[in-house]
Amino acid sequence: MAATKRLARELDDLRKSALKVFRDINVDESNILNWHGLLVPENAPYNKGAFRIEIQFPAEYPFKPPKVTFKTKIYHPNIDEKGQVCLPIISAENWKPATKTDQVVNSLISLINDPEPEHPLRAELAEEYTKDKKKFMKNAEEFTKKHSEKRPSD
Amino acid sequence: MSQTDMKRQLSDPASDATDSEDMEEDDEYANYYYDNTDDLDIDKPKKTDDPEYFEYTILQTEDAERLLNEEVERLCSELKMSPSLAKMLLHVGQWQGEDIIERYQQDQRKLLTESNVSCPKEMKEDSLVGSSPGCPVCAECYPRDKFMGLTCGHLFCPHCWDMHFRFQIEQGITMGIECMGQKCKILVPEDFLYSVLKDSKLRDRFSKLCFMDLIKGHPKLRFCPGPNCSVIIHAKEPRAKKVECSVCKSTFCFRCGIEYHAPTDCDVIKKWLTKCADDSETANYISAHTKDCPSCHVCIEKSAGCNHMQCSKCKFDFCWMCLGDWKSHGSEYYECSRYKENPNIANESVLVQAREALKKYLFYFERWENHAKSLQLEEQTLQKITSRINVKVMENEGTWIDWQYLQNAAALLKKCRYTLQYTYPYAYYMDKGGRKQLFEYQQAQLEAEVENLSWKVERAEITHRGDLENQMDIAEKRRQTLLKDFLEV
Repeated sequence: MAATKRLARELDDLRKSALKVFRDINVDESNILNWHGLLVPENAPYNKGAFRIEIQFPAEYPFKPPKVTFKTKIYHPNIDEKGQVCLPIISAENWKPATKTDQVVNSLISLINDPEPEHPLRAELAEEYTKDKKKFMKNAEEFTKKHSEKRPSD
Repeated sequence: MSQTDMKRQLSDPASDATDSEDMEEDDEYANYYYDNTDDLDIDKPKKTDDPEYFEYTILQTEDAERLLNEEVERLCSELKMSPSLAKMLLHVGQWQGEDIIERYQQDQRKLLTESNVSCPKEMKEDSLVGSSPGCPVCAECYPRDKFMGLTCGHLFCPHCWDMHFRFQIEQGITMGIECMGQKCKILVPEDFLYSVLKDSKLRDRFSKLCFMDLIKGHPKLRFCPGPNCSVIIHAKEPRAKKVECSVCKSTFCFRCGIEYHAPTDCDVIKKWLTKCADDSETANYISAHTKDCPSCHVCIEKSAGCNHMQCSKCKFDFCWMCLGDWKSHGSEYYECSRYKENPNIANESVLVQAREALKKYLFYFERWENHAKSLQLEEQTLQKITSRINVKVMENEGTWIDWQYLQNAAALLKKCRYTLQYTYPYAYYMDKGGRKQLFEYQQAQLEAEVENLSWKVERAEITHRGDLENQMDIAEKRRQTLLKDFLEV
């Protein structure tokens, strides 16, 4: 299976590079197709917490794209209540077999840091974000404090 | 069983035979002239006069393949390039051969870069092998010379290319298959694909899908949308005009492939049909088949296409659509087709505006729907006429040729009402102003004449032939006038 060797290499590279924004990468020994990790955004209001995500790779990886879901609740126009996220880099139309997981994670991080209210998954949050940014920031910060994970100390 | 029924039954085989003979004739006819206005015994429109005139031919798959290959070869020999590359340039450049040649001669590199066929030189250095060992996709290590890639310099192992092609073809992608490199838009030419892909089933599938992709991308070619029909229409000019497939008999608009919709254009009709589908529940209540006579209030069921109704009880003549006195429909004050907007609407509350918007939509939808129903009912009238002609011919009351004009009248009625039906979405989306007034005037004129024709066709046996033919002429002239002024050419 092409996926195994490639994923092993990617996991190795990711752990070596020790990204500040994506840590605690957890992979089940028996199933390398399923990853968990902790997303640590830098921009307000999400810099008040950290978010658990799951990355699921299909058996046909890297010829088909992985799926990313949030396991921690987040107040964000581009992530719905089920934790689904719409990320162009991993859509079926845009996917490239040479795209690496660190590029996917970086693209996800920049979406979290800078929401794209033009194509929202939660229209009501997108509206609040564009029409009343102050209110959005306040709500998002409160939500983050209440629901998100603790940020790593270093 | 009554005597007439017997005769009708007896004459049926005869009518079948005549029908099929007619069809064969039509087929031959269609091979060199498609405009069916020519079937009618009215003034034959000249090419330049007829706003609906459209030149096209029907191609079988092999003919279409030959046509594409000829265009590819022309570009190959003109620009001295491989067929595979020429095919890509044509597909990306929407088969504008002359334009491609000109652009190629002006600036070869620019055209190839813009068409995503080759990469600018400076990006080529960004080769992936070398920086990290192994194939960037599967991470397997192979000798350097095993790696393959396109002009962009992104190199991958043959096994990964093969898998990539497999999954792309599975998703129905052919001409649009790109290099596997992240963000790389360079397209894969078919000779490269064939050099990698060895599975004969997949190669076949690729070639079939590729052909479909090429046809779909060619502005002058279109697959016939008819069920199980595999022919390809080749138009001289890519326009929104009416095509009738000589094989499966379906008619459609060449540009968008859905039902012909003159004078409305492709975008507007799509918007209208979507709106009708979305609002189908709201519009359902008006699909009633019965209304009360506005004079004596007896319940009347509409059983034929004509909207000029006459109450069988009190003989009052009225319009089925607006329930107004028919007398006003014959005059210049004809206003049944015209929607009167509330002039003060901008100052009304949101609720009133919403109600007004719905009222306006329903007004147009009702008329659109009613003409569609009339078309169905008139189809039955045509069948009745055909069987009545059969009876007459059997009883030696004239020959088929003598009665042919009745069929022509019914066919013309259908054509005129069809256009009339499609004037309603056009009017719905029109902006207020002089042009809309002119349109509504011509629409009203056409509507009045269509109903007059329908009235006479239904009473064909008691209508004088000259009178009927005169009415046909008037109705068709009104239709042509409207199309000449409003059909976008």
